[in-house]
Amino acid sequence: MKTYGTEPGAPTPVQVGISELVVSDGDDTLKSYGLGSCLAIALYDPNTNIGGLAHVMLPDGDTADNSERKPGKYADTAIRALLRRMVEQGANYTAVEAKIAGGSDMFEFESFGDGVGQRNIAAAKTELEKLGVPLEAEDVGGEYGRTVEFTPGTGTLVVKTSDGDNGVMEL
Amino acid sequence: MKLDVNALGTFYRMAREGAGLAAGRLTHMLGVETKVGVTKLNFMRGQEIRRDFEDSTEKVGVRVKLTGGIEGYSVVVFERENALRIVETLLAEAGPDADVNADVDEIDGFDEMTESAATEVGHIMNSGFIDGWADVLETVIDVSTPEFVEGQTAEPFFGDIDEAPADDDLALLFQSQIETVGTEVGFSHYLFPKRESMSKLLEQLRTSEGIEYDKLDGFDRMAERGAEEVAKTATTLTGIDTSVDIRRLNFVSLEAIPEQVANEKLVGVAFEFDGMPSGYLLFLFDEESAHEIVDAMVPMEVDEDGFGEMGTSAIKELGNIMASGFLDGWANVLDTTIDHSTPEFIHDIGAAAVDPVIIQLGENQDFAFVFDTVVMADGREFDCEVYAIPDESDLERALNNLDVDRIEETPTTAEFQEVDNT
Repeated sequence: MKTYGTEPGAPTPVQVGISELVVSDGDDTLKSYGLGSCLAIALYDPNTNIGGLAHVMLPDGDTADNSERKPGKYADTAIRALLRRMVEQGANYTAVEAKIAGGSDMFEFESFGDGVGQRNIAAAKTELEKLGVPLEAEDVGGEYGRTVEFTPGTGTLVVKTSDGDNGVMEL
Repeated sequence: MKLDVNALGTFYRMAREGAGLAAGRLTHMLGVETKVGVTKLNFMRGQEIRRDFEDSTEKVGVRVKLTGGIEGYSVVVFERENALRIVETLLAEAGPDADVNADVDEIDGFDEMTESAATEVGHIMNSGFIDGWADVLETVIDVSTPEFVEGQTAEPFFGDIDEAPADDDLALLFQSQIETVGTEVGFSHYLFPKRESMSKLLEQLRTSEGIEYDKLDGFDRMAERGAEEVAKTATTLTGIDTSVDIRRLNFVSLEAIPEQVANEKLVGVAFEFDGMPSGYLLFLFDEESAHEIVDAMVPMEVDEDGFGEMGTSAIKELGNIMASGFLDGWANVLDTTIDHSTPEFIHDIGAAAVDPVIIQLGENQDFAFVFDTVVMADGREFDCEVYAIPDESDLERALNNLDVDRIEETPTTAEFQEVDNT
C-alpha cells in the first residue's frame, strides 16, 4: 500500500503489503500483517543501520516473466532487490545479515502438494546461501499466522501470533 | 463485445493508477497524508447500484463527461458528511488570512463557497483517475467542466445519463478507497462508458479469445445462486434468520485479496473444490458470530476455552453444508458437477487464512475473480464473509460452455432484504 505525503513526527509503522519490499535507513518500523504461507525476509547491515523488509508470496522469480516489474513477489528476486537497494543507500554487502519469518502451511489441500509455505522457506534459504548472506534467526513453518515488525536500526524482528501476549517473540 | 483477463487486467491497472494520482493530488491540495486502499473492479447490475444509493445517507457527487479515448461519464460520489469534512480541511488549509470562516462546526450545509470547493475537490479526483487511465491506455481523454450533484437516491446522479446501466444490465465499476490519516475520505467512483466506446477498447486490449460480454450474466447468476444457498443453509442449521446482505463479483489482483480481510482474529472454514471450475472457498466469521453459531448448534452448555472440539466440529459441519449448497448453486447454473474437499478449520489472523490460497493460484495467474458474499442475521450476531476464488482458466472455459439461453430460463429469484444490524 502506497502512502502519499508525510505527516511530521508520525510514528506509524510503514506497512509492507504482499509482494512489496521497503528499504529504510532510519528508525522506521516496517510491518507486515497476517503472514500465512507468505514469508517475511528482513535484511540489515548492523554497522550502517540500513535494512529492509520484503513480504514475498512465491519462491521462484527467475522463471516468472513479471519478476522485473515485481521483484518483491518472489523470494529470490526480492532478496537480490533488497540487497541492491541497501547497497545503493550505503550498506556494506559483506556485513548484511538476514532474518526470516512466516511460511506456514495452514491447510492440507491436495492441490498444495508439499506445502506452499515450505517452498518459500526453501527458496529464501537457497538464495541467501548463494549470495553468502548469513541467516541469523528464523521463525518459520507451523500451521499458524504471524505478524512481523522489523526495525532496521536495531535489526530486531518482532514476530506476533494471534495468541495475544503469549505469542510475541523477538528475533 | 468480448472481454478477456488481459483486458480486465488493464482496467484494473487503470483503476489503481487513477486512484494513485487522485490520492497524490488530494494530498497536495489538503496537505494531509493519504493512501490508496483496496481497489476493485466490480460487476454490478443497475438495480444494485441504485440500491447502494438508497441507504438514506445524503450524498454529493461531481461528474464529468468524457470524450476521446473513453467516452461516457465519470462520477465521484462522497457521503455528504465526508465531503463537508474535506471542504473544511481545504478551507482551513487556505489559512487564517483567507476570506472564509473555517470554523469546523459552523459549516452545516453547502453554500456557494463550499459547493465550489467540493466541486473543485471532486474534479481534481476525477481528473486524477482520468489522467491515470489515459497513461495506462496511452491515449488522450477529454474532460468536460464538472457538475455538482446532491441527493439521497441514484436519480439525481445517474437518472439523466443514457450510459447508466438499466436495472438488469451489468456495469463495470471502478471502486477505490482513498484514506487519509485521521479523517475518513471514503468515496465511490463510477465510470459509465458508452457501449461502443467500451467495445472498441476491449477489442484493442484483448489478447486471447476471451468470453462474450453477455455471458457475464452467467457469473452473476452463479454469484446469486451460491449466496442464496448459503443463507438458506445457515438459517436451517442454526435457526438464526439470515439473509444475503452483499453480493459482489470482483476482479482484483491476487495481492489485494488478503488486504480486504479484517485485520483481526477470525474463525473460518476453508475448502478446495474440483470440477469445472476448480478453486478455493472460504467462510470467515468474526469471533462473536462464531460463538453465537456454536451456541445455536450445540444445545448443551459446553465448558470450553475458545473453540474446543465441540465448537470446532459444529463450525466445520456448518461450513461443510454451506459449501455444498454454494457449489451446488454454481453447478446448477453451469450444468456440471463440482466436488469439494473436507473442511479445514482455522482460528487465526484473517489474512493468514487467505494467503495460502492466493499463493497457490499465483503460480499461474496474477488476477482473480472473487465472488464476495456477506450473509447477515436480523438482530443477532451472524456475519459471514464468503470468498469463492475459482481458477481463472477453468472459469473462462466454464463460462464459454455456458448456454446463454439457459440462463434466461432460470428466473432471478434473489431478493435483498434490509438487515437491521444495530
